[in-house]
Amino acid sequence: MYNYNFLNDQWYRNMNYNSYRNTSMPSLFTPVEGYNNGNLFADLYSQYKNYQPVTLTARNDKERILLELSRMAFAAHELNLYLDLHPEDTTMLTLFNDYRQKTNDLTKQYEEKYGPLSISSDALTQAPFMWEQNAWPWEVQRNV
Amino acid sequence: MFSYQKRLQYPIDIKKKDLRMAKFLVTQYGGSNGELAAALRYLNQRYTMPDNRGKALLTDIGNEELAHVEMISTMIYQLMKDATMEELREAGLDAHYAEHSRALYPTDVNGVPFTVAYFASTGDPLADISEDMAAEQKARAVYENLIDLTTDPDVIGPLLWLRQREIVHFNRFKELFEYYEKMLNNNTSSSNQNMNVNNSSQMNSNSMNFNSQNNATLEQLLMNSNFSDISQGIMRD
Repeated sequence: MYNYNFLNDQWYRNMNYNSYRNTSMPSLFTPVEGYNNGNLFADLYSQYKNYQPVTLTARNDKERILLELSRMAFAAHELNLYLDLHPEDTTMLTLFNDYRQKTNDLTKQYEEKYGPLSISSDALTQAPFMWEQNAWPWEVQRNV
Repeated sequence: MFSYQKRLQYPIDIKKKDLRMAKFLVTQYGGSNGELAAALRYLNQRYTMPDNRGKALLTDIGNEELAHVEMISTMIYQLMKDATMEELREAGLDAHYAEHSRALYPTDVNGVPFTVAYFASTGDPLADISEDMAAEQKARAVYENLIDLTTDPDVIGPLLWLRQREIVHFNRFKELFEYYEKMLNNNTSSSNQNMNVNNSSQMNSNSMNFNSQNNATLEQLLMNSNFSDISQGIMRD
């Protein structure tokens, strides 16, 4: 099972700069940095004035899993856009599949504990119908 | 088909009511450079892209823009939540209230309703993708203006994040544009005039930039397309 307490992303840093080192590959942020920045591709990142991106943190277990899920899903999405234009890049494809798999694992964990994120979730078998029970994403969710 | 995920692409948690900022932000919902126009632009243009790269990229970015529509809508909703009639009036949102109460409605910053006239769809991939590149740059500029208009970190955070997405999308569209442009140039120099690109002394600078991976002619590209009749539109001779 995926360990979402892995908030120190040194592992991804090492993976990027050592085992996946490849001169033709764009330089990537880690999933944590990339998600904070809104940009996984270090060469494309461009700061506005002296504004720094928010360092996102979690206040509880629910937020922690959701944050880690969002990081992995974002990293996979960024590589998805890249792979659309570079379908033969096997290094990026491997990395994409790693992030995709972690997203799926975290989604399953989140849904088991806190309810469905999609209508195809396994967390929909018990009444009442859980799809409409949880807060909707636009609602302010303090002290959850 | 599309399916919904019950989460935001990036968290929005605005604690302070700000009616003025809500009024400004709505332009990135229903304004000419907004997220709704972006989503509809790419999701309409994707059908006539000449190959799978274009179809995939416009589908995936168009889909992401829908997630940004939801983020912007959430920001407006949270900024306006629990506003009193007096506060609405002070911010100039009493006109909005007359038609929409506290509901969301896609307009620009002056209350002009969203229109599909904000985007084009020409069937020509170079024309469409260069519009997409411009759209991303304009949206980036608007996000910067919006960041300048607020001091609330809960608002600035998501705006910085969305601004960065415009930069990534611009660069992806630029890559796709350059890829299709090379295809078109290759087609006119090597297949129509039956020249060997490598030996020709007349080759232009664009065909010199060819890398072997991209060295397919437009005709080969179009043969792989399911829309060859539509794609004929980009064969210029």
